[in-house]
Amino acid sequence: MSFVQLLIDATALGALLALVAMGIALVFGVMRLVNFAYGELITVGAYTLVLTKGWPIVLRVLAAFVVVIASSLLMEVIFRPLRRATAATMLVATFALSFLLQNMFLFIFGPQGETIEFLAPLNRAIEIGDLRIRWITIIAIALGAVLLGFMSWLLGKTSVGLQMRAAAADFTTARILGVRAGRVIMLAFVLSGFLAAAVTLVLAVQRPLATPNYGFVVLVPALVGVVVGGLGKLVPATLGGFAIGFATVVLGDLLPSGSRVFLNSVLFAIVIIVLLVRPDGLFTGRTGVAERV
Amino acid sequence: MRRKIWWLAVLVAFALVATACGSTDDTTTTTGAAAAATTTTTTVPETTTTQAPEPAGPIIIGAAVDLTSDMSFFDGPAIAAAQIKIDEINAAGGVGGRQLELRTIDTELDPDQTQAAAIELIEGGAEVLLVTCDVDFATPAITEGINAGILTVASCIGTDQMGPNRFGDAGRLAFSLGNVAQDEGAAMAEFAFDKGKTKAVLVTDNLLVYFQDVIEAFKVRWLELGGEIVAEESFTSFDGTIESVVTAVDGADADIIAVSSAFADLPSTFTTSLRALGNDTTIICSWACDGASWVPEGLNDFYYVTFASLFGDDPDPLVNELAEGVASAAGFTGTGGFVTGASAIEAIVAAIEETGGTVGSELATAFEGFDGLPTISGSISFSADQHTVFGREYRVITITDGTNTFNSLWVATSPAEIR
Repeated sequence: MSFVQLLIDATALGALLALVAMGIALVFGVMRLVNFAYGELITVGAYTLVLTKGWPIVLRVLAAFVVVIASSLLMEVIFRPLRRATAATMLVATFALSFLLQNMFLFIFGPQGETIEFLAPLNRAIEIGDLRIRWITIIAIALGAVLLGFMSWLLGKTSVGLQMRAAAADFTTARILGVRAGRVIMLAFVLSGFLAAAVTLVLAVQRPLATPNYGFVVLVPALVGVVVGGLGKLVPATLGGFAIGFATVVLGDLLPSGSRVFLNSVLFAIVIIVLLVRPDGLFTGRTGVAERV
Repeated sequence: MRRKIWWLAVLVAFALVATACGSTDDTTTTTGAAAAATTTTTTVPETTTTQAPEPAGPIIIGAAVDLTSDMSFFDGPAIAAAQIKIDEINAAGGVGGRQLELRTIDTELDPDQTQAAAIELIEGGAEVLLVTCDVDFATPAITEGINAGILTVASCIGTDQMGPNRFGDAGRLAFSLGNVAQDEGAAMAEFAFDKGKTKAVLVTDNLLVYFQDVIEAFKVRWLELGGEIVAEESFTSFDGTIESVVTAVDGADADIIAVSSAFADLPSTFTTSLRALGNDTTIICSWACDGASWVPEGLNDFYYVTFASLFGDDPDPLVNELAEGVASAAGFTGTGGFVTGASAIEAIVAAIEETGGTVGSELATAFEGFDGLPTISGSISFSADQHTVFGREYRVITITDGTNTFNSLWVATSPAEIR
């Protein structure tokens, strides 16, 4: 494989994990909640596409967005009583919800998987010399850039964004100053669900078999990316997600075929070294001080 | 910094747990659990020298299997097939005048429940034990079965781990009706070579030893036949690198791609992505690719070997009839592996008839002597060294335009030597 082709493949996975990381970071920034059940929102989206096979594409996309955002709001309702709980309590609660949902998918749909059959031609590639760039890779990168830009604008230039940043900086003080905290948190979950639905659509093209752990397998590396990039900070966390995906593919190529079973070991070793050197995150700037969200 | 490290520790621990949960495979004995299993089962159970009086009741076959979790896809249909075969045998008068009785306990793949189920079944009078279709998940039950001195049988474990290779001397009592990977990979290579293919790409999924062994066996037999290996790629299911594997495979000048995996990355994502790039190279897979649930629309030129055709066109009418019965009883057939439940019962009955009783060590000797025993899943053979089936007639299934159809029968000349 040529070096440039390797970079293209690495960018494809990086873009996908960046989108996942963005959704996780958004909720963490406002609520200090590391949502391990976020991957199940993606799985819900995948099964929605399975159940709407035969519908017009536009309606399937719409259904995926509606169901995933509604599921995200439902999660907000479930986590609402835990707002004042410790971080560890909330973390365990999200673990529990994640495993509960995965087992529900297993019970309802079985372990063997269901074909999604969603825009498979987007896996075709543009050929430039020896290079092949899939349409879905281009779409994932463009989508990531557009959504990151949109989120940055929303948080930085709008009043609702200002309220979210205020709540993220000091939740109690923000409430005293009139910020409607419940609405801010709900909006964070809506945006987070929107991002999960977007990830679902990209993933459904690339990985066309819905299984009970469909979203979970992209959640764990994205979460690591969020920590590496900068926990709770939108842009650094997103870049962290991208970096983990990019590094995974590059390392996979660098390791000899017989040694690729050690890919995750090598990756996590690098992650630990990075955090020892840059404990506040790889992309948070020299001082390590950055505004949450 | 401390908070960062705390979060990282949580994530790493979670990833390790997830990896362990995902490794539902026939792993080697280097893991703690496997090593423990080997250690605890090296004592050969004592057998009495005086013949115990023949029990008058039914011969109880206990089944500690998964009917609700990930392995239920395999165990459910196999147990349904076993029950159908038992009903047939009982209707014909039973075995030596005794009826067969199948007692099943759902382990839900929980190790503690698996062990408890085996103990309950053995204490309840089980004279033969059936276990789940994965040697790691089955180990707590296998250990109880072989330490109790009873024949312990899995319907479809596909590695050479079900027997002395993993469980030491006491493992003489453990057998699997699955096809050993060395035989399956050899059959795939011989079939592809017979089709005129000469240049192969090998894609290994490191997640399961079964997957690795199949491809290694393919490689060994392929080279013995004079074939050329033009590229070897590997990955681990769920590691996120399947797209770069596709890119590498697409760049290889091959006329056959050998694969073995059963998860979303491969075959589903792999075939979808490869074909989208315009690569129409023939792909051959092991039993791992059996079933219609993963097949993308319009897939062509894809072959896999399996135990039985699920699609109503198996060359043996009895298999088609059994498939209907299993679908009715279990709600689904899953893969062609369902027939191994029935053939396990046939093999157990043949051994009981040969030895005149249910003494574990004697049944094991009978099993080791099976050489082409005819069963509904084809002719099966075991040996003192190989306690997983070899020499069976594989059903080669072709996928054309997204549809599975029976292609032909194929028998490997011999298992490939991979270790």
